[in-house]
Amino acid sequence: MISVEGLTKHFGPVRAVDGLSFTARPGMVTGFLGPNGAGKTTTLRMLLGLVTPTSGRALVNGRPYAELDRPVTEVGAALEATGFHPGRSARDHLRIACTAAGLPERRVDTVLERTGLTTAADRRVIGYSLGMRQRLALATAILGEPRVLILDEPANGLDPAGVHWLRSLLRHLAEEGCTVLVSSHVLPEVEQTADHVVIVAHGRLVRDAPLAELVGAGGELRVRTEQAGELAVALENAGGRVRREDDRLWVTGLEPEDVGRAALDTRAVLTELGRERSALEKIFLELTMAEPDGPPAPPGTGPGPEETGPEKVGAPGKGGQS
Amino acid sequence: MINLVRAELLKIRSTRMWLGMLALSLGFSLMGLAVYVALSGVEMDGDMAIPPVTDPQTVRAFYASASGGVLFMMILGIMGITGEYRHQTISGTFLVTPVRGRVLAAKLISYFLFGAGFGLATVLATVAVALPALAIKGGSTSLLDHDVPLILGGTVLAMALYALVGLGLGALIRNQIAAIIVAVGWVQLVEGIVTVALPQVGQWLPAGAVRAITFTTSMFGPGELDTLPAWGGVLLLVGYGLAFAAVATVTTVRRDIT
Repeated sequence: MISVEGLTKHFGPVRAVDGLSFTARPGMVTGFLGPNGAGKTTTLRMLLGLVTPTSGRALVNGRPYAELDRPVTEVGAALEATGFHPGRSARDHLRIACTAAGLPERRVDTVLERTGLTTAADRRVIGYSLGMRQRLALATAILGEPRVLILDEPANGLDPAGVHWLRSLLRHLAEEGCTVLVSSHVLPEVEQTADHVVIVAHGRLVRDAPLAELVGAGGELRVRTEQAGELAVALENAGGRVRREDDRLWVTGLEPEDVGRAALDTRAVLTELGRERSALEKIFLELTMAEPDGPPAPPGTGPGPEETGPEKVGAPGKGGQS
Repeated sequence: MINLVRAELLKIRSTRMWLGMLALSLGFSLMGLAVYVALSGVEMDGDMAIPPVTDPQTVRAFYASASGGVLFMMILGIMGITGEYRHQTISGTFLVTPVRGRVLAAKLISYFLFGAGFGLATVLATVAVALPALAIKGGSTSLLDHDVPLILGGTVLAMALYALVGLGLGALIRNQIAAIIVAVGWVQLVEGIVTVALPQVGQWLPAGAVRAITFTTSMFGPGELDTLPAWGGVLLLVGYGLAFAAVATVTTVRRDIT
């Protein structure tokens, strides 16, 4: 159980984290999402006692990290900016952590095996790929068999097989009743793993909701037809809200079969019908585009400049570029 | 605490850095010794650069050359802290042991112990060369006369305490390269100049304390340099070690690790 209450951190004039509150519960993977610079890492570091909050509290199992008796056996953490001495082997790195934590040394072999590092264990870390370092970070995190896991961008640098492995590891841990908090700025990763999502931007909470609620709701359909005018009327009559742009329509409040039926009734020929981004993607994209140094978000105009629909076939330039 | 000390000692042993530093320490000490051995009792322009081995002062200088390695133990101490920042292992260290004072205490104890071992190795190597050299040149081969036990023991202690100075300096400066440059510049330049130009000040510097402990008061330059008594040197060096240990602790306990 992780609880963050009114957490705030100022670095000089910068409010890295600003009155953030959320909880991560056992038995769930909680995705901690936000664009780069949103304050995710600072929040995780405050949870782990590495950074002192300006105000507010960050508690693990109801207590500040520094007050846990044997922290490694309660909380496992893999932080992005946590390194390894390049001249030290993975095995020695784990042995040091084991020794300092007073854990039995056979745990080293166990976690090496679980993270697939056994054969590379005695090599110096300098020769490790980014993916292997991530595995070593995870091995360190699960060394003390903790029931709470805090992982900062754990999928960075993993190959597809590694991402798959990580996903099943996290799911497995959550099913065992562990509390898993995973930060990421890569959306699909979280969409496939998390049960609950906490979204932050500029150090503040934006959304805190079950993933299902965000993914299911507010979905928009994209329709393309030569008879756009007639179909738009039919869709509105069917209870949908329609936005039209030349031969393209964006429809909310209806499912694809409703659109298909309306097209049949009006004898409109559909050249394209698909779901637009999920609400989660939308929220996330808006946040990313609202970044002070990111591309400006044109308010209220349909799909932003980062439209990545798969069927974007030679769409005739609809302004935007200047 | 024993676990933490074992972990810190394992940290030192699990990279090759200490071997390199030990090699430098031995090399530096033995090179100094070789100069004494070669030049003692040799006449140059009718004058002797270094008195012959029958002079107790020369015997002391032979054994005291082991103290030439203290700089390298200090660098090892500097790396013991700055390396954790440089390679970002400090986060992991504090995750295992969030009460930072305990980590610092463990580091200080480990480096003191390691420094003593490091000093012992340097002293033994020096003795292994100095003893036969003295025998061949007709000097005293007693390891009990001419304050030799004090010189050798003092050197071991100095190594251990310089490790603490290194830890403190590393915690204060944190940038590895900068800290090492400061250490080398201090030992090789500043202390040397102050010792010769202002001996009454130089005797209070760490190098002055080492000189007091190793009874090497008049090897260079004219006459005797102002030097504390041996016990004063020990106290002064312990004082420096503790002061820098305190600096290491205070600067590290509250700092944000980002």
